[in-house]
Amino acid sequence: MAVDAAVRTAPAARTGRRRLRWSIGMLALPISAWLVFFFIVPFGLILWYSFGDKPSLYVTHSNDVLSLDRYVEAVSPAFLQTFGRTLEISVVGTVLCLLIAFPMAYWMATKLSPRRQGLVLALVLIPYWTNFLVRTIGWQITLSPEGFLSQGLQALGLRDGPLEVLYTMPAVQLGVVYNYLPLMILPLYVALERMDHRLLEASRDLGANAIESFRRVTLPLALPGIAAGMLLVFVPLMGDYITPSVLGGAQGGMVGQMVAGQFSRAQNWALGSAMAIILMLAILATVVIFALVARLVGSVLGRVQRVDLSAALPQQGGAR
Amino acid sequence: MTLDSTDADAMAAGRPGRVVLTGVSKVYGKAYAVENLDLDVRAGEFISLLGPSGCGKTTTLRMIGGFEFPDAGTISISGRAVHALPPHRRPVNTVFQAYALFPHMSVARNVAYGLTYGSVPKADIGPRVRDALAMVRMSHLADRMPAQLSGGQQQRIALARALVNRPAVLLLDEPMSALDRKLREEMQIELKLLQQQLGTTFVFVTHDQEEAMTMSDRIAVMNHGRIEQVGTPSTVYDAPESAYVAGFIGQQNFFSGTIDRADGGAVGMTVEGSRVATGRPSGLAVGTEATFAVRPEHVTVSVTADAGVNVIPATLMGISQLGSALQLVLLTAGGLKITARTSRSSEVPTTIGSTVWCRWDAAAVHVFPGSATA
Repeated sequence: MAVDAAVRTAPAARTGRRRLRWSIGMLALPISAWLVFFFIVPFGLILWYSFGDKPSLYVTHSNDVLSLDRYVEAVSPAFLQTFGRTLEISVVGTVLCLLIAFPMAYWMATKLSPRRQGLVLALVLIPYWTNFLVRTIGWQITLSPEGFLSQGLQALGLRDGPLEVLYTMPAVQLGVVYNYLPLMILPLYVALERMDHRLLEASRDLGANAIESFRRVTLPLALPGIAAGMLLVFVPLMGDYITPSVLGGAQGGMVGQMVAGQFSRAQNWALGSAMAIILMLAILATVVIFALVARLVGSVLGRVQRVDLSAALPQQGGAR
Repeated sequence: MTLDSTDADAMAAGRPGRVVLTGVSKVYGKAYAVENLDLDVRAGEFISLLGPSGCGKTTTLRMIGGFEFPDAGTISISGRAVHALPPHRRPVNTVFQAYALFPHMSVARNVAYGLTYGSVPKADIGPRVRDALAMVRMSHLADRMPAQLSGGQQQRIALARALVNRPAVLLLDEPMSALDRKLREEMQIELKLLQQQLGTTFVFVTHDQEEAMTMSDRIAVMNHGRIEQVGTPSTVYDAPESAYVAGFIGQQNFFSGTIDRADGGAVGMTVEGSRVATGRPSGLAVGTEATFAVRPEHVTVSVTADAGVNVIPATLMGISQLGSALQLVLLTAGGLKITARTSRSSEVPTTIGSTVWCRWDAAAVHVFPGSATA
């Protein structure tokens, strides 16, 4: 009977649906496992170690006595000085990347034919795919006082003595801008490429010149790309220790090196963990503050630009 | 006297909303997109540029708007030469094909966009936007974002955004092509009423001849970068100047052949042994190639055998319903397709495969030189 059939099929359908949901859940298993084993567990361990200490010369860490002493120990004057320099290099580096990448991405997205876009995109990515350390060592060779750049500049009479940039903060600054530039170009390119070119025509049609059209149409539509690019550059840049290790020397050190030093050379995992946690919190705080300021500016601008439709035409008001 | 008429011409050319294109050409690579085009758009008229894709109608519109610059010729709007000016310095506004509403701005800010660049006092912007939205009956959507609107709503906003600036000329680039048929028909009537009410010159680009016929004061039929004919909808329909126009506006039955008789003005040819003749003067001589055109609504079909001029026997191949009318598809013995359209009430043969006789008045036959057919 039809009723019987309906009753019989209903639970079967329900289990079928449950099985479907379960198998979709299975698809998330690799990413969940990855998150647990390579992010949550290591992060938990670092957090745990940061509350412990280094009991003796031959032991890296111990959690027998829990305290916040390592944090107090971590914020030494030397750490704070290096931290300030790290923040400066990162902020300046992010801004420089944005200033260089925006015209580049705009050119790629609007002026090039689709086929050329692929080629230029490859040219941006190929250096990025090369080993990070190798690229940075390339700059070490270029910037060294005996390097070809130094000798070339001297031969041309543009410099009296050898180039003295290597192992300074400007060298690190240059290195990070070079290393992180593709991470800024890509999201900007995606945002600008997605933009409908006719919007600019509409803007010009409505009376805006090229600069005004850029300010009121292109820039706001590129904002998600700008935000993504700044995050992609700023966050890893704050924790970078390869670039300053290769190019920075004593004057251009960054916090990442201090953390690495505690783990490898000093074998003080407790102190290194505390430094790492402080670094992560600082990055988080910087991003949150930046996002709040951006949102505040956005809401103020939104209020200023709101069109008030309630007012009557002045002439009509006068007539009444 | 000559001086007076020159002055009068100059005054007419300077009337707000008049658009004059003189010898305008646009070349892409080696191909002419628009070739030596002359067009005089009268102030306050609704003119359509009608033609198939690639005929140069959109390029012409974009040159008036300032998005393309002509390689030769001049364009003046309201008596001022504008062909070298960028778009933001021309007294025109455009409704774009895909509307091009700013996705990051509310409807109200979209409409207010152009007002910030004119001489409009800041206090007037809000009321002007409100009035423009009321005009297109979209006041209730002022705070929405474009992505939250339907296609028809977006189109009205695009219209309000352009018209709020009170342009001398409004350019419309196939604005209805994304709408469904019913909405499109409603918008056609509304747009025409709006244009009459505002008295603004509308230059409307379309490939849809019905759309052009419904709304336009005049239609410029374009083909291969040239204007084939400019005239009122009834002129281009009833008195096409070329076989192309005859075929593009409405349907036509074409007969190509050699003129073998000329009785005064009226000429005739033989099609599959039947005499076909026109009552219209053509000036064509015996022996020249010509094309005759007869509209389907002028063809009557009957089952009774007939003979004489403008009568051709054919086989009834199919009947389709067109709402109030019937369309008959017929095939002659020589393989020529003839379409006839009659009202449903009349006595029409309905047996598919039966032999019938098609006939029409000589006065309904248009004649064009050459054997070109559309």
